[in-house]
Amino acid sequence: MSPLPSPASSPSAIDGAPSGRTWEELSALARDEANDRPFLTRLLELWAAAHGAQAAALYLESGSLLELEVGAGDRDFPDEINSASPPAGLAVLPLPGGALVVAPPSAAAADEPLTLLLTAAARGSLLKRRLKEQHFQVNYRGVELEALYDVGLAVAATLDLEPLSEEILLRAVSLLDARRGALYLLEGNRYRAARTFGGEAGPEFALDAPALAAFLVDTSGGAEPPPDLLPGARHVLAVAIAIESSPRGFLAVGDKESRRGVGPFPAGDRRTLGLFANQAAIALENARLHRQALEKERLERELTLAAEIQRQILPKGAPAVAGYRLVGWNRPARQVGGDYYDLLPREDGRVSLVVGDVTGKGMPAALMVSTLHSALRLLLDRTGLGPAFLERLNSHILESSAANKFITLFLAELEPATGTLHYLNAGHNPALLLRRSGAVEELGSSGVPIGLLPGSRYQKKTVELGPGDLLCLYSDGITECASPAEEEFGMQRLVKLLAELRDRPLQDVLDAIADATVEFAAGAPQLDDETVVLLRRDG
Amino acid sequence: MTESLNVTVDRREGLAVVYTEGYINNQGGEEIARVAYKLLDEGYKVLLLNLAGTKIVNSIGISILIEIIEKMIEIGGRLGFCCLTPTIEKTFHIMGLAQYARIFPDEPAAVAGLQS
Repeated sequence: MSPLPSPASSPSAIDGAPSGRTWEELSALARDEANDRPFLTRLLELWAAAHGAQAAALYLESGSLLELEVGAGDRDFPDEINSASPPAGLAVLPLPGGALVVAPPSAAAADEPLTLLLTAAARGSLLKRRLKEQHFQVNYRGVELEALYDVGLAVAATLDLEPLSEEILLRAVSLLDARRGALYLLEGNRYRAARTFGGEAGPEFALDAPALAAFLVDTSGGAEPPPDLLPGARHVLAVAIAIESSPRGFLAVGDKESRRGVGPFPAGDRRTLGLFANQAAIALENARLHRQALEKERLERELTLAAEIQRQILPKGAPAVAGYRLVGWNRPARQVGGDYYDLLPREDGRVSLVVGDVTGKGMPAALMVSTLHSALRLLLDRTGLGPAFLERLNSHILESSAANKFITLFLAELEPATGTLHYLNAGHNPALLLRRSGAVEELGSSGVPIGLLPGSRYQKKTVELGPGDLLCLYSDGITECASPAEEEFGMQRLVKLLAELRDRPLQDVLDAIADATVEFAAGAPQLDDETVVLLRRDG
Repeated sequence: MTESLNVTVDRREGLAVVYTEGYINNQGGEEIARVAYKLLDEGYKVLLLNLAGTKIVNSIGISILIEIIEKMIEIGGRLGFCCLTPTIEKTFHIMGLAQYARIFPDEPAAVAGLQS
């Protein structure tokens, strides 16, 4: 501070009124709207000189304290004082919205023009300061809105949680004037620190840790934070990150700053922090849905590949057998299925026919179909069709499949020259043999499904196919095809259809069966895989 | 990330560049103000605040920066900022700092702009 001017330089101040020249000087200083300190300082100098003060300072109200605005004289004044307990050697003379602090304490204010002018100027300065503070707060609300908008955009623009976590934490810390912060994400049943700022934070907390759970739901400010959440922080605010009440993490900030140090967070800050927690929840949910979509896409790719593999497993056509017509068809309920059929011409001229049905549908069933296909081809070459073949196949499937998985199987072997058909039925639907005479024979089961029980025994049976006889192997997807009224297609409808079309080309018969089940279902979804193999001896 | 702000100064002919690294909060802002006022006492009237090392600033830090700007205006000096993150630049515009202090994308542009 500069030394006070001598009374001689402001003679008219003696009687309390500025002289003409001083008035002009003050008027010039007052024109500077951007900075009123020079005006206040000069006025204070005149006031101090007129009142015999060695030094004087103008303080304005700032909360419960008085804050130094300007000073005059050869003395330093503290930045803040408490009017109730002024520093030694100073007198506090109250003004509306502030105070004059003078040294020596004997100086006193008087009701004269200079004091009134200083009072008015101090009042104006205080109003200006308050307006500026309000302007600052209004602008800062704008910063808050922009921050939430920006975070929203960032959440929409990226699925990478790493930068998003940092963005959300930094914005929350800065907007709440916090010194510290941490963002925790739930992994399994533990919250783990994903991002920290401004100091140490506990690395992890149990989801059900009582102190943390109580602290996260407390809105009264009465609950204490876990001591290791933000160690050393005097004031902590935390809110949960949740999606439909399901916890996903939490956001914590510590030590609210002001110009005088740190303090507790006011109630409104919980709402602001909650808005950032909501953004974090949206980001987490987006990332989870994206991972889910990627996983679904991957599974669909795998299913498409599996369907292609299964198409390769199933016969691409039927072998030509002199004196017979043979066709096969399969329609899976899903992309891949659990039904299987095969038509195998053997080296000795015999032909093997297979229809199988794995329990369940979809990928697990398709994998078992693949296992069955490989085992069946290998064993058939080594063993030939018979009980031993099925018993070995049973052991193999039992060892290589889950406990609740089994396969019903109908195996037949035709000797084309004689029309002799050997067959084994392991728990499968009875094959239908429509004689030319119109009689229908059912080739029923001779053992339990394979893969169900160890040591299962099977029996080979034999029938003769005469000219015009039609054999139909099928899976339960045909007979159990359901109408919207939940009535099953049933064996009788299948027999009737076969009987009506028995002399038509076999492909026409297959198409008719396929169409009949679709028509019967009348739009109801196909619940099971459908398979048909037809063999007819030329008449 | 650091809690405290590191401030370094590069004194040049007619201009001083103040580099910050860390959080501009109450403590960080006070440190910048201390350094800036010291430079004013040394006679520097043109200051450049390079905030390349700062990712976060709070309202207390902003209010202190505003005080520094006011002080610069009071003495007829000039203050510029450079190398701000997009977030801080947007904040400075909303808070009105950009009306009284120039903002430059990088240091060479700032030095040229403030000395012209």
